[in-house]
Amino acid sequence: MMLFGLEWAFPLVLLLLPMALLPWFNNNLDKTVAWTALVPHDPLSRTISLALKVLSSVVIAALLLAVASPAIPERTVERFGEGAEIVLLLDRSRSMDDAFAVTTQAANYSVAGDNSKRRVARTYLTEFVKKRPDDRFGFVFFSTNSINLLPLTYSKEAILATIEANSLGKGLSDTNLADALMNSALMFEDQPYRGSRIVLLVSDGGQLMTDEAMELITKRYKEMNLSIYWIYLKARQEMTLEPSENDNILYTDLPERKVHEFFKGIGIPYRAFEAGSLDEFAKAMDEIDEQQYQTLIVEELVPHEPKADLFLWLALLAMLPLASSHLYSYWGVRKAHE
Amino acid sequence: MSLSYPKRIFLTALVMLISLLMIMAALWLPQVDREIEVMDSLFVIDITDSMNVEDVSFGNETINRLEWAKEYTRQSILSMPCGSHAGLAIFSEARSLILMTPVEVCANYHDLMQMLSQFRPTMAWARSSEVSKALYTAIRQAKEITPQPTVVFLTDGHEAPPVHETLFPKFTDTPGEVPGVIVGIGGSDLVPIPKTNEFGEIEGYWEINEVMHKDVYASSRGDAAELNDNRPRTEHLSSQKKSHMETVSRRVGFEFISSPKSPQNLIKEMQKISETRQQPVKYDLFVWLASIALILLLLVFLPYSMFTKQHE
Repeated sequence: MMLFGLEWAFPLVLLLLPMALLPWFNNNLDKTVAWTALVPHDPLSRTISLALKVLSSVVIAALLLAVASPAIPERTVERFGEGAEIVLLLDRSRSMDDAFAVTTQAANYSVAGDNSKRRVARTYLTEFVKKRPDDRFGFVFFSTNSINLLPLTYSKEAILATIEANSLGKGLSDTNLADALMNSALMFEDQPYRGSRIVLLVSDGGQLMTDEAMELITKRYKEMNLSIYWIYLKARQEMTLEPSENDNILYTDLPERKVHEFFKGIGIPYRAFEAGSLDEFAKAMDEIDEQQYQTLIVEELVPHEPKADLFLWLALLAMLPLASSHLYSYWGVRKAHE
Repeated sequence: MSLSYPKRIFLTALVMLISLLMIMAALWLPQVDREIEVMDSLFVIDITDSMNVEDVSFGNETINRLEWAKEYTRQSILSMPCGSHAGLAIFSEARSLILMTPVEVCANYHDLMQMLSQFRPTMAWARSSEVSKALYTAIRQAKEITPQPTVVFLTDGHEAPPVHETLFPKFTDTPGEVPGVIVGIGGSDLVPIPKTNEFGEIEGYWEINEVMHKDVYASSRGDAAELNDNRPRTEHLSSQKKSHMETVSRRVGFEFISSPKSPQNLIKEMQKISETRQQPVKYDLFVWLASIALILLLLVFLPYSMFTKQHE
């Protein structure tokens, strides 16, 4: 419960605070005197007795406040860091279950094995995420309909667990690239501009998109200041996204080339990495890592901070003279009775 | 007061001294280690069309089964002690899809809830609901996760297309190897199932002639064909399939709880079957020490004279 800007673990204890007035309403420690006129008028004694009452009240109140366990609640502070805000767009289609960077045709048929494209992507992305302390990551679920599964978060544990989960099981039959690209942009909607915004697409193919979808994507990506990085997992070594001189006639109309053309034409920062081997994949990740260290506003979560110690110190400071005076009077009374 | 003055002075001095020591201990005594039991869990939520049926209630409100499943998952995660881990998965068609492997529940509560709130029927990749097969895949995938989580499978048990009891898909793993609980959702009356379009909006209901009413395999097998005879054509309607889920949970060695009232029902069931881990947590004794000091001091100052008769 919040009270006075502090979070109290046991707020009901605070209801006992009037108990701090008890020392003023009893005379447990008074000595019965036969005739009060006999007691000499002593201003010092009166002051001391008043002070002792105040001290007792302070100790009781301070202890009650400490037992109620106050704490400064968890809060976020903004600081400047270096990095980027990255939305991960991992292809979950069936073809991603095929082995990555194999030379023989036979090896291609080991479905969802340890060297499948999806698992290789998991390995490198995990490494990448771990290397970047200040980045905020989001994850788009990439299926028939895409869903912004994990909105941008600073929790490395959450994003790593989502990447890990993405490598389990088998691929899905249907993926919709246009929808996924649109949703990735939505992750940044209504967010203040904190720094570099990236959509990181990892896929082994492209998809033809409607003109309408492409128009919408162009508009959104420009408006929101996004950059696209595409790690394209090549199936055949000689196939490139850029057309070349001695091109195989079969490659010219491949959807991935169309997507590449489209990305180039949006007019936003765009970079494609063609990974045909584990080595190239690693290099692509390293390059993104090196490039993306612009200033970024980072929201940091400051954990809740217990403040009971303050009250315990107050209780201790008041308790020291109080206890000493009572020990002293015990000593005095004993002396007098001897 | 019946105590003599010197005695009172002595007791007061003693109490003050002990209180002082207690406060000092509260300030400087190091935190003690305490072991708490934590577990790893994987919540698998049914997102098929039958989960859109509004026949369950939370408090006074009638909500649909999917909303109930999400709210129950939220409350269960909230009831777990910090240090426990929870993962999230959905199921549609004939398989479960893990979306987040188990993460620590307190530090990642916000992210878990963000993801949970996204679960909706539009995530489904196909329009069928083969509960038992999906359960088997959940079990198989749970085995790939270390440490292996306890599976919590939230469903209404509606198999579409229907499966005949004698023609069950085979469970090839060892029952009980992966511990788990099936949480049954839904009312007991047969009600129409809303149909959703690609945007997740409800568009009418599944009609009697739009769904299969018989086990496909039984229809194709001469010896089993009679199994399909005289079956009521009610597969376009849905209720909580309790007996079916009981059978399925026995087959895979799971527990079954039907429409639990509180998350504690689930947590208790999970604690019985899960391999719990001991997690040391730092525990500060200051509350106890300060309370002792406080009670002792109050004993000194309580207005005893108000309760004792004056014998003057």
